[in-house]
Amino acid sequence: MPRGTDVRAAVIAFACALGVGAASADGLAAPDLDGDAQRAAGKELYTRNCAQCHGDKGDGRGVAAPHLLPRPRDFTSGKFKIRTTPSGKLPTDQDLKHVIKVGMPYTSMPGWPQFSEEQLTSLVAYVKSFAPDFAKPENQVEGMTMPTPPPMTAESVERGKASYAELGCARCHGELGRTDGGTAPTLKDDFDHPILPADLSRPWTFRGGARREDIFRAMTTGLNGTPMPAFGEALTEEQRWDITDYIFSLGGSSESPNYATLLTARKTTGDIDLAAADTLFDEAPVAFFPIVGQIMQPGRAFHPASNGLTARAVYNDTDLAIELRWNDMRGNVSGKNAPDIAVPPVEDAGEPAAAKPAAGADDGVWGDAEETSPAGHGAAADPWGDAEAKPGDTGEKDPWAEDGGDAGAAGGGASEFSDAVALQFPVTLPTSIRKPYFLFGDKDHPVHLWFVDLAKKTPSLWLGHGSDKLENLGARDLAVASRFEKGEWRVVFKRRLRSAGALSFEERGFAPIAFSVWDGASRERGNKRGLTTWWSVYFEPAEKPSPAGPMAASALGVLVLELAFVAWARRRKRAEAV
Amino acid sequence: MTLFELPVLLGIVVAMALLRLVRASLLVWVLAWWIGIYVFVSRGFATPVPASAQHIYLGIVTLALFAYVTSSGERIRSFVDPLVNFAGDGRYTLALVPVLLALPALAAYREYVNAKVPVEPPFFARTVHPSPPTEITVHDQKIDMLGGDNPLRHLEKDDPAKFAEHVARGKDIYYEQCFFCHADALGGDGMYAHGLNPAPANFIDQGVLPSFQETFFFWRIAKGGPGMPDEGAPGDSAMPEWERFLSNEQMWEVVLFLYDHTGYRPRAREVHAEGH
Repeated sequence: MPRGTDVRAAVIAFACALGVGAASADGLAAPDLDGDAQRAAGKELYTRNCAQCHGDKGDGRGVAAPHLLPRPRDFTSGKFKIRTTPSGKLPTDQDLKHVIKVGMPYTSMPGWPQFSEEQLTSLVAYVKSFAPDFAKPENQVEGMTMPTPPPMTAESVERGKASYAELGCARCHGELGRTDGGTAPTLKDDFDHPILPADLSRPWTFRGGARREDIFRAMTTGLNGTPMPAFGEALTEEQRWDITDYIFSLGGSSESPNYATLLTARKTTGDIDLAAADTLFDEAPVAFFPIVGQIMQPGRAFHPASNGLTARAVYNDTDLAIELRWNDMRGNVSGKNAPDIAVPPVEDAGEPAAAKPAAGADDGVWGDAEETSPAGHGAAADPWGDAEAKPGDTGEKDPWAEDGGDAGAAGGGASEFSDAVALQFPVTLPTSIRKPYFLFGDKDHPVHLWFVDLAKKTPSLWLGHGSDKLENLGARDLAVASRFEKGEWRVVFKRRLRSAGALSFEERGFAPIAFSVWDGASRERGNKRGLTTWWSVYFEPAEKPSPAGPMAASALGVLVLELAFVAWARRRKRAEAV
Repeated sequence: MTLFELPVLLGIVVAMALLRLVRASLLVWVLAWWIGIYVFVSRGFATPVPASAQHIYLGIVTLALFAYVTSSGERIRSFVDPLVNFAGDGRYTLALVPVLLALPALAAYREYVNAKVPVEPPFFARTVHPSPPTEITVHDQKIDMLGGDNPLRHLEKDDPAKFAEHVARGKDIYYEQCFFCHADALGGDGMYAHGLNPAPANFIDQGVLPSFQETFFFWRIAKGGPGMPDEGAPGDSAMPEWERFLSNEQMWEVVLFLYDHTGYRPRAREVHAEGH
């Protein structure tokens, strides 16, 4: 390695480490900013760790790319989302290093904290070599310096809420940030791929990070190559912090999802009445479970529309009700859905379109290659095409069925498949580590599904001996209420606490529980769905015994033992002394 | 590597070393062992040990210490005498009273904490790497789990160019199919790992690739979670049965890639009587 290159690399590394950014490299005045040796070292790292997604040529077309959403970055474009530089400008070296180090949450871009500063510097040098724009020093600008965040207050959130409405953020992100804005289904990025607006109610999924500083940076510099504009010039710094605070508040002011492993059902003395479903769960604790794609069996969903589901549960002496909530761009209430609809094997192969753009644009990411224009999301369809709600055959009417929520009004028009959700329980309680297979059970260990097709709004109980052996048993003793509102589905299942031929629930008892969610617009049906693995539900007793009794008993017990020991010791000492 | 909380382990070792230096009495040693093991079990692991397993383990430790102390009259005396002195000698009464009050308070506090502990579902132990059957059939081909070998492995010596091709194909398959859970860097923390329980295998971990022969991983890949015996919790595992998606050669190629990318070597085969 030539000595001079070493020194220059060291100077750049040092400059970057200081956070000065590439702008200071201007001083070198040469168009070649990084040096051959550095790029060679970077290439080695890149080939081993990055090329499988971003491609040998840096064009984002690696072997893994067809299954990925969002698609891997095309480095030749010079467009990078997460930057401290103004909109449309190239990122600084420090920006690129930051993204490599921490990754982009909820995408296939992981963080690489194991890379040393030197490795990062080399890698960035190589990544930059893909885009000709980086070769010109005049293209490189300095990044913003992050101001110290002002304290978040109720007032700043309120002001931010007003700005959010005024700026029209809801047009894409939705009123409460749940991606249900009117234009959301039609959004495309500069590479003509469909792109989802960020779910502002889930900051931990933000590509650039969940801290308030990260939101502020995104507001200031925008996300290049996406429809997200920059507000660095349109808004004052204070206004940007206000809107940052409002966005942060939409996600419960939390940087982390706080995933649960246990759903606690709260005992109530009142009736469990679906007509009062709005307030039924007010006292029940919330459990948020991660949803991942069904990528275990054919009919795979590599990127399910939903990434998390919130559950609450209440029970009394006779009945149990479980509420499920999840975010959805649209409430798809036309078409049909069921756990046993077959998914053609062709959909399993991922997205061949990346290699042959014959289907027009290589966008089949929301379904199979042919039918997945964003119109699949119902944007262009009849916005009033709500399917007629049919009453359940259980005698218990869905109280929300009449007003129907805003599923139809929000433009959830005709799509072939409707939204659907299922709860899964074992048919009998497992007594060992061996549970039924979490994908709808197996031959010897069956499961029950509490399923509702949200177009029909009638519940059905399914018996599963595996995803290829499912049987619809009809509504039985299940009842359901469902509503779609402001980008959120809310579904409440109700059943008798004890049921012949199915799992009966007992106070202080535990049971395995799992969930499946189908998004009709993404053509999810049957095996193609978002799901959770087995977690647990616990039936909390009505009265939690006061700890005072056991505390007194155990303290007294210890004291008696102590005094007995002291008495014995004293007697022995006296005996010795004599 | 990431199995233990290193600062905790270090703290325990240092505390023990200090006791050794000050020549602590048997009483102090017994207490130190019990507390040391308690801290190790409750705080020493990166992934917390379930409370029920902790209780079982500490019960065994208590019995073992009891057995040790009562194994000779001398040990009993050196354990009991300091206690009798402290409790029986009038000179220590002033110090004894706070101790007599503190212990019941501690016991009460423990009850209080127990009442506040969040409930945990019933715990069933799971075998992480269950034993394979002696023979499996994949795509009509019988694979001998003990005597068999990766049919592509010999190319490493015989035809390195061809071997490299297979490894490269294994890499492509890994990044088309596996990295969603097992991750880009093979650390088992892929983009879906947070939603799975048990967590996907971590191939960087020294306890995984070097501990088994290649046939073991072929079995795990081909038959997936559902192909595990009951003690491996086949109902919970998200590992697909890859024979439904991949050919035998493709699966062997992935195994080659795992070893090639991490630099580990498969565990050497036991020499059989009929072997060479």
